[in-house]
Amino acid sequence: MKLLLFAFAALLLPASAFAQSTAITNARIVTVSGATIERGTVVIRDGLIEAVGAGVNVPADARVIDAAGHTVYPGFFDAVTSLGLQTRPATPQGGPGGGQAAQQQAAAQSNSRYPAGLRPEDAAADELRAGEAQFEQARNAGFTTAVSVGRTGIFNGRSAVINLAGEDVAGMIVKSPAAIHVSFSSLGGQYPGSLMGTISAMRQMFLDAKRHQELQKMYAANPRGMRRPDADASLEALIPVLDRQIPIVFTANREIEIIRAIDLAKEFNLRLIIAGGHESWKVADRLKAIDAAVLFSLNFPKRTTAASPDADPESLEMLRFRAEVPKAAAKLAQAGVRFAFQSGGMTNLADFSANAAMAVQNGLSADAAVRAMTLSPAEIFGIADRTGSVETGKIANLTVVKGDALAKDKVITHVFVDGKLFEPKAPPARPAGNTGTGPASAVAGTYNITIEIPGQPLTGTMNFTVQGEILTGNLTTQLGAAPIRNGRVTGNRISFAATVEFGGANIDIQVSGTITGNRIEGSIDSPQGAVPFSGTRVP
Amino acid sequence: MKRRIGMLLGLAILALLPASLVAQQAGGDVLIRNATVMTASRGTLENTDILIRGGKIARIGKNLPAGTARVIDATGKFVTPGIIDAHSHTMMNAVNEGTLSVTSMTRIRDVLNPTDVAIYRGLAGGVTAALLLHGSANAIGGQSSTVKFKYGRPVEEFVVEGAPTGIKFAMGENPKRSNFTIPGQPPRYPRTRMGVLEVMRDAFVRARDYKRSWDDFRAGKTRVPPRRDMELEPIVEILEGKRLVHAHGYRSDEQLNLLRLAEEFGFRVGTLQHGLEAYKFAPEIAKHGAGVSIFIDSWSYKLEGYDATPYNAYMLWKAGVNVSINSDSNERMRRLNLDAAKAMKYGGVPEQDALKMITLNPAVQLGIGSRTGSIEQNKDADIVIWSEHPFSPYAHPEMTMIEGVVYFDRKADIERRGLLAKEREELEKLDINKAPGSGGAAPRIPTERVRGDLGHIEDSDLDDHK
Repeated sequence: MKLLLFAFAALLLPASAFAQSTAITNARIVTVSGATIERGTVVIRDGLIEAVGAGVNVPADARVIDAAGHTVYPGFFDAVTSLGLQTRPATPQGGPGGGQAAQQQAAAQSNSRYPAGLRPEDAAADELRAGEAQFEQARNAGFTTAVSVGRTGIFNGRSAVINLAGEDVAGMIVKSPAAIHVSFSSLGGQYPGSLMGTISAMRQMFLDAKRHQELQKMYAANPRGMRRPDADASLEALIPVLDRQIPIVFTANREIEIIRAIDLAKEFNLRLIIAGGHESWKVADRLKAIDAAVLFSLNFPKRTTAASPDADPESLEMLRFRAEVPKAAAKLAQAGVRFAFQSGGMTNLADFSANAAMAVQNGLSADAAVRAMTLSPAEIFGIADRTGSVETGKIANLTVVKGDALAKDKVITHVFVDGKLFEPKAPPARPAGNTGTGPASAVAGTYNITIEIPGQPLTGTMNFTVQGEILTGNLTTQLGAAPIRNGRVTGNRISFAATVEFGGANIDIQVSGTITGNRIEGSIDSPQGAVPFSGTRVP
Repeated sequence: MKRRIGMLLGLAILALLPASLVAQQAGGDVLIRNATVMTASRGTLENTDILIRGGKIARIGKNLPAGTARVIDATGKFVTPGIIDAHSHTMMNAVNEGTLSVTSMTRIRDVLNPTDVAIYRGLAGGVTAALLLHGSANAIGGQSSTVKFKYGRPVEEFVVEGAPTGIKFAMGENPKRSNFTIPGQPPRYPRTRMGVLEVMRDAFVRARDYKRSWDDFRAGKTRVPPRRDMELEPIVEILEGKRLVHAHGYRSDEQLNLLRLAEEFGFRVGTLQHGLEAYKFAPEIAKHGAGVSIFIDSWSYKLEGYDATPYNAYMLWKAGVNVSINSDSNERMRRLNLDAAKAMKYGGVPEQDALKMITLNPAVQLGIGSRTGSIEQNKDADIVIWSEHPFSPYAHPEMTMIEGVVYFDRKADIERRGLLAKEREELEKLDINKAPGSGGAAPRIPTERVRGDLGHIEDSDLDDHK
């Protein structure tokens, strides 16, 4: 009986599950917090780094990974993403009609007096989806940790730092709220409908929140003869920002946008972080003066205007702007401005290391580049005591790389998230860097694809017709044929939406992919989660 | 009435200079030698020198000793005060917050864009200062900004320190919106001219109550501090005479109504903007003490503009009203010298009074007349050196300076064009600036305002300010 049970268990569990710890041996270890260890061991136990060093003994119970010729880095940290979040409707406020209905619905569900889009209390932690499959692409690129926040509205809401593994949301979260995020957008159709209104509306809200806090104190001291202060969720959410307990992150790339964010932060004495920051180097002194950090976007600006002798020339200012972006990180480092890297919504994460490498070519030290994707973001978000470097006692977020972290030909072999091992498949050969220049006609055709739904792969076809940037066609699976909506082609990348019927319900999906030669791969995002797909073109 | 498609390519190129290259010959004393000086306040002085020290006009006279000053030989040239445009939307990344009928909480200062190439083009037309106004989409618009065109300098240096604060009001077709709807915006109260006036009256009443609530709190009559209201605070300032109202309007009846409303609430209107029918009630305007800022000869571009006449400036001047001629346009701004000349042509305004309409008069309307607007001792050295008489159609500014610093120098500009062309060539070779190959985005007409996405004036923006 005992034997039988054991055999049964053995069937269910991979051999490694019996090991109590993992030891990565013979590795080069870039600790980031201290000196690099040329040949050493990292021991992982119970989700934490138990030991690091050249002379560390391998525990008896360890599963051993011989990493000779490999380098262990702290897990890569993407300082702004929307990973794990359901795709919210692009404009909750929207135009006339449907938008208003959605708005009224949203208003009914909130105790905020402010319209959707001006609600700092929206929390990424409340909107995260369970399941770790959705993070596979990011993990394959070496990421273990990310800041996640919605991208809609003026107040994008409260972000969370998450680890990119774990089946339930509660286990993913490393810190929440991490910050409140803001975009200089507007609501359209209602106040504020312009940049001017947006800044004014924020100013009024900060004043309202200050007063709210004052009234709360007064009421706590003596409620008699005083109307009780409203329990407004939006104002409550701003109080920790006014108290400098959590930072405020403004998305701002151009110099004047950054200056506007600085001015507003100074007006209310806020802890400012700039996200994007492509021109932050121009205002490094102002940022330094208030100790504002930059979450520098490696999604470098690209020229979209076709080269045509008939087209008007681009402004010199725009040409200069783009030319300076790869030099920006080095200038921030030199000026002593704290910064971390973020993916900035890039569609192909290969651009992350390629563009970090470009920053290094333009004067940033390689060490500083690695720091900007590991320890620096952890410091900026106040969690450097638990992650961001390879140190004893920290969370076992580690990325094992064959080659250099920023090199084009690197291979990410092992990724540990909270001590859990993932082994990325060998990446398909695909050009790194600023891709997206292939002719659109190279996209058209019919592809046989496999959608990798865990445990239940689904096969089908994608049929693409391309006219300029417009993609049309069908996605056909055993669930039926769905026409492509909002299809776009940018270089060798495609994206489209579709609706598939499943179990009597209509499910909206968002598909994005990259075509290299005859091979397509990408991901399909739905309210149920994101799954990868890949396939080849029918010759 | 501002369209940005008409790109002035020549000026577009020469305007895009890094700050370090801008012809700012910082500080230092300057002596403008032997010019014909049109002072705008004390007649025209032949063969006259102007000594600039510390950004101010230190001396005006003949054969002044140069000392250590840099000498600019202006023999055969004309010198005027810098032109001031009393109605402009230049360097603004947003013009209208049109969602509400009262948007007094908005501030043009928040959306200034000091890199707007139109600033440099303005300098090339002799403009040194402007009143930047919110659009006319609503009865009470946003707070205005008074700036000097210090192109290349940080944004905060543009704002004229100590200039009185202002606010835009608007009456008539634009705020009542009865002839059009804005896509995505529901119809908005008011829809009639009487409604527009009611919105203003209501705001003043609310502001009066608001002020009282604070007075009561400060007097200890109430325990809980009132909410600070960013919409009403600027309106309280109007009532207290601390904030100038710049009121867009066309029809004489409704502009007269505004003057009466102001008198009812005990303040004076700063300027009537546009005022194409102002000649119809010039004596009432003079009595009230408002200024008028007009187009010299645009009319009939909308129904409200049918009763306009180019003699408007003359008739207002004759009635003793402070008149300025404005552009409301990045393009027209560069030709205000010719607009002033037209005031001589239509009715016969004397030369100096015509010049005043684009210099000292707008300065007075903006509340900065004591420091700029004319060439007088101790005033800011905001000065234009012209190739010939500024009212000649052949005239062009050769040099434009603000507080003694040269911000436009035609000669230096022409010399720099080759360098800029070369720089462009180099920049276009970079991978990051290479256009996608075939199949990329379709060609488009670039706007120099591409800054990301929002709030920028695009061609799709409604012309909601003229």
